[in-house]
Formats: sequence, C-alpha cells, structure tokens
Amino acid sequence: MTAPFFKYGAFGDETSLVIAFVIGIGFGFFLERAGFGSARKLVSQFYLNDLAVFKVMFTAIVTAMLGVTYLSWLGVLDLSLVYLTPTYIWPQIAGGLILGVGFVVGGYCPGTSVASMATGRLDGLAFVLGLPAGTLLFAELFPLIQRFYDSGGFGQRTLPDVFSLPYGVVVFAVVLMAIGGFYGASLLERRFGTER
Amino acid sequence: MMRWLSALTLNQKLALLALTLGVGALFISPTRGGAVSIEPDELAAMVQKEVDHVTADDLADWIIQGRADYRLIDLRDEKAYAEYHIPGAELVPVAQLPDAALARNEKIVLYSDGGIHSAQAWFLLKARGYKGAYILLGGLDTWRDTVVYPVLAENPAPDQAERNAKLSARAAHFGGAPRAASAVVASAPALGSTPAPGSTAASASAAAPGSTPAAPVPMPKVQAPGAPAAATAAPAARKKKEGC
Amino acid sequence: MSSNTDTLASSWSGAAERDAAAAHARSAPYSNPYLAGIGLGLVLLAAFVVMGRGLGASGAVGSLVAWLVHGVAPEHAMSNGFLSGYLGDGSVHPLKAWLVFEVLGVFVGALVSGLLAHRVATVVERGPRVTVGLRLAMAFVGGATMAFGAALARGCTSGQALTGGSMLNAGSWATMMCIFGGAYAVAWFFRWQWK
Repeated sequence: MTAPFFKYGAFGDETSLVIAFVIGIGFGFFLERAGFGSARKLVSQFYLNDLAVFKVMFTAIVTAMLGVTYLSWLGVLDLSLVYLTPTYIWPQIAGGLILGVGFVVGGYCPGTSVASMATGRLDGLAFVLGLPAGTLLFAELFPLIQRFYDSGGFGQRTLPDVFSLPYGVVVFAVVLMAIGGFYGASLLERRFGTER
Repeated sequence: MMRWLSALTLNQKLALLALTLGVGALFISPTRGGAVSIEPDELAAMVQKEVDHVTADDLADWIIQGRADYRLIDLRDEKAYAEYHIPGAELVPVAQLPDAALARNEKIVLYSDGGIHSAQAWFLLKARGYKGAYILLGGLDTWRDTVVYPVLAENPAPDQAERNAKLSARAAHFGGAPRAASAVVASAPALGSTPAPGSTAASASAAAPGSTPAAPVPMPKVQAPGAPAAATAAPAARKKKEGC
Repeated sequence: MSSNTDTLASSWSGAAERDAAAAHARSAPYSNPYLAGIGLGLVLLAAFVVMGRGLGASGAVGSLVAWLVHGVAPEHAMSNGFLSGYLGDGSVHPLKAWLVFEVLGVFVGALVSGLLAHRVATVVERGPRVTVGLRLAMAFVGGATMAFGAALARGCTSGQALTGGSMLNAGSWATMMCIFGGAYAVAWFFRWQWK
C-alpha cells in the first residue's frame, strides 16, 4: 500500500496546497470543457433539453469509483485512509433539497460558478458573490440549527454497509444504473432536446 | 467480433468498457487491509530506535492536555477493564484486534498489564500496515508506578521539589497519590478497588519481591476527574475541519 | 475572444439571444460529455490517490467567510460552532486550506479551457424575457441558497455528489438524490428565466 501518498507521509502540508491548485486546474478545465461554465447548459438538465450534467457527473463518478475499486483490490490504494464525510441524514436531505432549489434559481453550483466567472460570465460572478452571503447567514443562524445539523448521524457509512452487500456488487449496480441512465438520457434528449 | 467492436460508436465502446469493468468488480473486493506483510529489517530498526513506544509520562500528559489525536487500546479482558482502565481507553481484547475499526493513519497506543500482549499486538498491527501503532512502555504496571502512585524523592533539592509537586498533582488528577521513596514497597498498591485518595501506601521493607502490600490502597475510579470532559470539548476546536 | 463592453451594452438593451448566439458561433463545440466526465473522474481519482480526499468547493467559501468574520469580530468567529471549524486552534491561517487552493485552480483551469475554445466572453446568460439586473439578482440569490444548503449538507455537488458518490458514501448519495429532486421540483416555476 503506497497510496494515498499524502496519508503515508510522502509530502507535507505546503506541497499539498500546490497539489490542490494543480488538481483544481484539472477540475476547472474539464468542467469548462463540458460546457458547465454556462448556466444555460447546466439548467438544461432540469428542463430535460440537455442532460449533460447527468452524463458528466455519472461518468466521473463511475470512472473514479472503478479506479478506486481496482486500485484498492491491487493493494495500491488504502481505501480506509480516503476521507469519507460522515453521514448526517436529516441535514443532508434538507441541504440537498435546498441545493437543488439554489441550482435552478442561480443556474450554477459552487464549482461551476467559479468556472463560469473565469470565462467572463457576469451571472457566474453574481452567483460566486452570493455564496459567502449564504454561508454567513448559515453561520449566524447556526446556534439555532445546530441540533438539526448534528442529527441523524451515522458516522462513515457506505452503500455496501447500508444494504449489506459486497462492495463489488454495489459497484456493478452503479455501473448498470449509470449506463441505463445514459441510454434513458439520450431518449429524453431526442424527445425534448434542443442541442446547444 | 473485431468487426462488431469497430462498428460501435465511441460512446458505445465506452459503455462496453464500463460494463466489463463493472462485471469484473463483482469478483473482486477492495482489500481494506486484509493482506499481511512483514519487513523484518524495518521492524527491527524501529524497535532499535525505540520509535515503537510511548512512555507513561507522555501518555499522562496527553490525557491531561485533552489531546484527541490518538486512540488508547486496552488489550485485557472485560473484567480487568471494568476494574480499572486508563481514562479514554477502549477495550479491544487481542483476539478482536484484527477486526476492530482502526484506521491505518491513526496513532494507536496499546497497553496491557506488562508489555507482552501489547508487544504482540504491536507486531500484529505493524505487519498489517498500521503505521501509527505504539506500545505503552511498561504497560499498566509502569503506569501505576510512575503516574498514579509515583515515587517522590526524599529530602528534595529545589528542582526536585518542583518535580515532586508536579508528580503529586498529576497523580491526584488520576485519582492516585504519591509514595515517599523511603516507603519502598515491593509493589505499589493494587489497581482496582474503591477510592479514598490522599492516603499513602503502607510501607514495607524493600525485601521480599512478591510480598503483598500491607493494606491494599484505594485505586482511582474509572473516570479520572475532569479528563473525559476535557477530552470531548477540546477536539472540536483543535483541528480544522476536513470537508468539502 | 470577445469580451467587450459592446456585448454588455447590447445585453442591457435586451438582445440577449443575439449576443449569446454570436458568442456561441465563435466558440468551439462542447466536448463529448462522456469524455469530459472521464477526464473529471480521473482528476477525482488523482485526488484520492495523491491526497486521500476528493474534490469540493463550498468548503473554500466556509474558509473565506471564517477568515472575514474573524478579521472583523474574532471572538464571535471563534465561538461560532460552524466557523470555528474552519479556524482550528488559530495556528494555521484559514485561507491556507486545501479547498481554497483547489478553487483557485478551478478558476485557472476553466480559464485555460475557455481560452482554448474561444468561450471567454463578458456576457450575462439569461433568457429573452429577463433583464440583466433580474438575472444577476437571481444568480446572487441562487448562490446564497446553494451555500446555505451546502453548509447544511456538509458539501455541494462537487463534494457530496461527485466525491461522495464515487466513494459510495451513503449520505452523499442521499444528498445527490435530493439535489436532483429539489431541482426538478422547482424547475418549472423558474422556467421564465430561460424561455
């Protein structure tokens, strides 16, 4: 086991910040490649015109998921050292719904808004400026919502844990679901699509 | 077959690749560290350099400071654990160690009564790639003798007096009390009975090893005063959150 | 590359469709989404392998806000249960955070891709029935809403859906489904922004 390199002490915090920057470049590059610097492209997902958001997101998920699975099986990557955000089901459901509403209202998500701002979109910039406002509001309201925020905690849980299935079976299920989804997406686009 | 493959569109080829890898995933399971590998040279060097252990003094300091960056594992059985365990220790009998949910990058301090089980457990963890396994040097015996019932120097010089005061305070923190050096007991009071802090151990001569103490002195209750509260309050502020 | 005030001026006068179309005509077509997705997935995988963590965005905003509030009212920041997490024990500057640097990289990477594809333009993306001012206001409100939701869910689409999704994190999948669910639920009510 040699990876994750950082967790095995291959380099220090300062270097990790440089790496963060480099990885961020890759992230931003592919977001823009996919057209996610454009609010129009992004919201087309929710009007069923253009389901690129679904395609890109799930392709990325499947790619990384298969990569992690195989690297871990080969003994190269120690999965237990990869950070897994603990599950807090109630605030995550509520937060997810709010995120969805914000996505439609604003036309971006936090990552894509930065990409959008970088390519000159003023609405992307407006969205980016809205982010700290929302975060500040949350912080100020935190004493009131803290109980809810910490409710429904189940620790680090994976889908294999929850469904008591072997890891590989869940991986396979996700791949199937993604491919099925991609096929369904192409059908929807043919029906409702306006290619941009 | 080849003709069929080349007739597929790019998207279809990608889908086929994904499907193949997905099916492959059915037959493999990511090793969450099942394999065992031993690097004798590395292990021997670690033992030589003494990077494999943590002293009782260090551990006592960590507990008092409320540090939360390590896990303390008690390797004994339930009964022994119930009678007394170092504050913050989790009970994981040696046999259950492989299955315990220990992460490889955590600092794990192992202790048992003396040092044998903890040394064996250390080896077990190291062989399975746990980078942060440490032995509490001397185990509970040394913990008892240096932290809970420390020996104070008689007729202390000024700096010794200060050290004595620190040791006494620390011992009190853990519900114990200091012993005077002159009152050399063959063994310090047994750990594991109801407390009555403040009384010093009955004295006995240095003689017979294995002679039982004159009066078994109260051993601190399982929760050392203040420690658990401090341990839980501090961690939240200590580290920056790792999140998305 | 066409960032200029003309484009902006004509947006103000309402010819949104025209300049968007003009900008689009100059630009390269978007990538095959599956290829872009693979690229994104490999970047994510690299993060897992090199750092043992995934991607994110909303956390960087948390660091920023924590730093700003701390600058103005340090006591308040340190005692706030949410912000204090981004401040730690004060020994490390809150902006020296992995996500902050990652987000800076996102900016650069998107700019590079945009330049290569001639897709950098000062425009306001909006539908024909919406003024620039209204669209900017909606974008701002949307951003604030998403930030609130992301704080609650402990991540946004990058951190929860993308990263957590690939790690088969149960909470992340729940969050992801709620993001899509919430968005689809209200999409119809906001279609005037685009149609």
